Amino acid sequence: MAKVKARRKKKRQTKKVPVGKTSVSRNGSAGGAKKKKSRAAVSQARPVSTNAAITSRRSGRRATAKSMAASQRDISVSEFFAKNRHLLGFDNPRKALLTTIKEAVDNSLDACEEAGILPEIWVHVEATGNNRYKAGVQDNGPGILKKQIPLIFGKLLYGSKFHRLRMSRGQQGIGISAAGMYGVLTTGKPVKISSKTSKRKPIHYYEIQIDTKNNKPEILNGRGNGVDIPAGPKGETWMAKHGVEWVRTYGEDPENPSGKEVVSGTRVTIELEAKYQRGRGSIDEYLEQTAIANPHVTLHYLDPDGGYRHYQRSTEILPTEPKEIKPHPYGVELGRLLAMLKGTDTSTLSQFLTSSFSRVSPAVARKICSTAGVKVRASTRKIGRGEVDRLYEAIQETKISAPKTDCIAPIGEEHLLKGLHQVVPGEFYAAATRPPNVYRGNPFQIEVALAYGGTTAAQRITKETLIELIGETDLRTLRQFLIHTFDGIGSDAAEKIMKESDLGTRLSPGKLVTKQIDALHEAMRNLNLGEGQTMNVLRYANRVPLQFQPAACAITQSILGTNWRPYGLSQSRGSLPSGPVTVMVHMASVWVPFTSESKEAVASYPEIQKELRLGLQAVGRKLGMYLRRRIRVRQEGERRNIFLRYLGEVANAVSEINRADRKDLYDKLLKIATKKTAEADVKLDSRGRPIEEDLDLGSNVLIVDPNEAADNLSVK
Amino acid sequence: MAKKRVTARKKKVVKQSNRGGVKKTAKKAKAKSPRASVKVSTKDRKTLAELITMADQVVLAARRRRDPHLDIPTRSLSNVKFNRRKRFIEMGKNTNRRMLFNLSQAKSYMQTMLVGSGCKQLIEQGKNTSIRGLYYMLKHTIEGTKENTFEEQSDCDPVIEDVEVLLGTLREELHLYADKRGEMVGNLQLEDNGDLIDCARMGSGGYGIPSIVEPNVINFKKCSAKFVLHVEKGTVWQRFNEDKFWKKHNCILTHGAGQPPRGVRRLLNRMHNELNLPIFCLLDNDPWGYYIYSVIKQGSINLAYESQRMAIPKARFMGLRSKDYERCKLSPSVRIDLNDNDRKRARQIAGYPWFEHKKAWQKEINMMLKNDFKLEVEALISKDISYVTEQYVPDRLKDGDWLD
Repeated sequence: MAKVKARRKKKRQTKKVPVGKTSVSRNGSAGGAKKKKSRAAVSQARPVSTNAAITSRRSGRRATAKSMAASQRDISVSEFFAKNRHLLGFDNPRKALLTTIKEAVDNSLDACEEAGILPEIWVHVEATGNNRYKAGVQDNGPGILKKQIPLIFGKLLYGSKFHRLRMSRGQQGIGISAAGMYGVLTTGKPVKISSKTSKRKPIHYYEIQIDTKNNKPEILNGRGNGVDIPAGPKGETWMAKHGVEWVRTYGEDPENPSGKEVVSGTRVTIELEAKYQRGRGSIDEYLEQTAIANPHVTLHYLDPDGGYRHYQRSTEILPTEPKEIKPHPYGVELGRLLAMLKGTDTSTLSQFLTSSFSRVSPAVARKICSTAGVKVRASTRKIGRGEVDRLYEAIQETKISAPKTDCIAPIGEEHLLKGLHQVVPGEFYAAATRPPNVYRGNPFQIEVALAYGGTTAAQRITKETLIELIGETDLRTLRQFLIHTFDGIGSDAAEKIMKESDLGTRLSPGKLVTKQIDALHEAMRNLNLGEGQTMNVLRYANRVPLQFQPAACAITQSILGTNWRPYGLSQSRGSLPSGPVTVMVHMASVWVPFTSESKEAVASYPEIQKELRLGLQAVGRKLGMYLRRRIRVRQEGERRNIFLRYLGEVANAVSEINRADRKDLYDKLLKIATKKTAEADVKLDSRGRPIEEDLDLGSNVLIVDPNEAADNLSVK
Repeated sequence: MAKKRVTARKKKVVKQSNRGGVKKTAKKAKAKSPRASVKVSTKDRKTLAELITMADQVVLAARRRRDPHLDIPTRSLSNVKFNRRKRFIEMGKNTNRRMLFNLSQAKSYMQTMLVGSGCKQLIEQGKNTSIRGLYYMLKHTIEGTKENTFEEQSDCDPVIEDVEVLLGTLREELHLYADKRGEMVGNLQLEDNGDLIDCARMGSGGYGIPSIVEPNVINFKKCSAKFVLHVEKGTVWQRFNEDKFWKKHNCILTHGAGQPPRGVRRLLNRMHNELNLPIFCLLDNDPWGYYIYSVIKQGSINLAYESQRMAIPKARFMGLRSKDYERCKLSPSVRIDLNDNDRKRARQIAGYPWFEHKKAWQKEINMMLKNDFKLEVEALISKDISYVTEQYVPDRLKDGDWLD
């Protein structure tokens, strides 16, 4: 994005001088009374100056420079994005709904974490008409000051996160205001925001539209000033009367609130043209994956079909607050170096280098300057283009220690296991957090977690959902219904299920009676459909799930490039390994290198690839050890079983022939059998000595008894 | 020393078993009550002793904490030898070891023991059953599993043959018989289980040859026939019987419904040896016909251990011959083209040691391959319904035109 660079050039100025008439200087010390966006305020308009070339056309003058100048004018950011909504993830109605929820939830999480509050988020999606949905997201964050609300939700490129080099979710798109703008564009309904900063304070309630021409919020209620709803019963009746939604209390059941009061937080409700669909790239998937990577978050999700899902936090500990860092010299391009030099208020080069970059001590600055042949005390204002060039090359040649890595807050192995276990049922979990590394001067850290033995979506289905799906489907046979409705069920699996449930293949799903549905549900839950399932890959960047463009992503590429066969999974050439495996990969960085502005895939830098590989191998090794042991135990059992099965028959037959004592013979044979199996089970090392093998998987592994796993499942 | 002890045990055990029968529970005693009158013959006693030795080995191995095993003589082409002097196939000395504590053999070991115990029951009760009967007798679900001892009869049949070769006994000595196939008609009187049978007065159906034809069941009484004509199938046999060929030519007419079962082969062998009748075979002109002849003459590979009492080295092959298409001027429509399987099998047969050095046979097989078609005996019917009985066989007999 060329624009990003342009905006960065203005970094210094924007910090000092608020740009634009309406922007208000942020009160940083107030601590958290803010709802942030990933883009800063920038001059709303950019002059368009590309028409010079056209005027130089000699032949056939259709317009003169003068006549053309009349139509040359500012373009508002909002206008630009209204036209180019696909850049922000609003390319189709389905994705629009997801992006809206995603922006809101990401903002909420960032706000809560910054304020040090354990996040609790309510997501309500409701169908309001043909292809229209109302998406409401509420958090228990710090709330937003009244005067900030219209700017944050009603103005594009307004926020606090853009200018910091710090790990945060807010690299996604342009923010919640774009979602609001999309909503207004497609349905004409305003964005509704309620926010409360403490228990006694009123709820600030706004209905906002964006003035796309001027990139300016337009407040519709309270005669352009919003409404303050007082706390207490009076306010509640007002809210009920005016249809203002607000979750008052914590607790699982939204219908029957009994928990503690929600004292602060923000709720945004956007009505938009959208399409709700389950499955890949859906809200359900996004929330589930968010819950995995954010085990400190509790999510309440009410879907348009009335289904309610609750992801309870599995840890009470907030992630450590990532520190803000200065850029590392290795990560700075020539253009940016020039811009920084221009914008600096330091006077000497040495000062500039040490104060603007991390890991540049006066000694290192001296070395850089001497390599570049520039004086250390040279004035930053007098440095010419050629010297900057040399300076840039000198930086690359000079050895500078890697940046501090405390600017990254990894999820941590323990929390990875917890998060994954909470959401993905399985019997074996392993996690590995790699030490931080640096690509092009940006610190990053790779984390990998793996769950094995998880059940497919079909196995996790509740009876209510199944009944609903059966009711919805227009497929004619049960077999088709199973294959087309559920991921991971092929024709083989469908046959198995129908055999188990004793239902005919050609049965129409619509004609099933309750008893048959019960049998089907039972069969779906109990059958092992693990074979033939391919690995499920969950990708994250700074705790945000990446749901699209898997093929372009370095994470997927690394998984494909890893040989999983030694770890006990089958894998055909160039494809994902198969088996009931879920792999979760998280890349935490101050600056995640996305392949494109759609921010859906991580770019492959060699350093990142290497860390990914090592992380995947670490969890792979543990899985391999676990699977090998499991196979061995099973073999032992089988062997003993086969012998035991036949020993009784042999003893019977022999005693029938020669009247030998059956029991005595059986016991003796049993003893030999035990001895034989034990011998066969002992593994010999290279010198022919038996090896006593203990399963030492090291730390960061979680093994769940399959029966227990099933119990957990039913609870959910 | 050890051997002595075993024999001593054997006697004891046999006695015990007799006593045991009386002591059994009321229900079993009832079932076995007629057994009191069953006379255990000397032969049966010997078989029982063999069975008990087999079982004793298991007990012995268990006591010594050894792996119980059985050494079963190999029943395959690799373990048969053509005895040039006796002119039949003999079994070699190779054995296969079957172990209880071997994952792939445990089940068949168990099955072998089951068959042993089943045969023991049959002998003790003085009853016979078909191999299918034994299969049903022994088939049951293994306790605590969903697995059956035998899934199909085809699981059981080879095990029975294993027990036969293992104990060195004949199938009938285990009180088992195979399906009855094959019929006989001709100038022969015999006694079957005490009944006098005149094979010249068997109507159109003929005398069904039982599967056990040992002297304790069948005894020859009077025979005026001069030779035996064995044909391949019932249909051809029917033709010969209807035309009263056996009356005209004073012979015995048999068929074995394809590959003759043991009863038929054993009876042919006994007629050949005890009544001094030459045996002629009228079979199809195809590799399977050749092999039927080979089995009658030299014995089969699978049952090589029975060749001694089954094989008839002097049996002769009368037809059909490869040259009969030309000689009898058959119409082209009766030819059946050879397929790859036929050609392969023909070459295989030509390579058997007992055909390898017979020039006439090499010529015969090569001619069939050159013809590239086969002929069934029924093909002769295209000439005339009774061509085969009135022309073909009498001509061959007159000319002495046959293969040895």
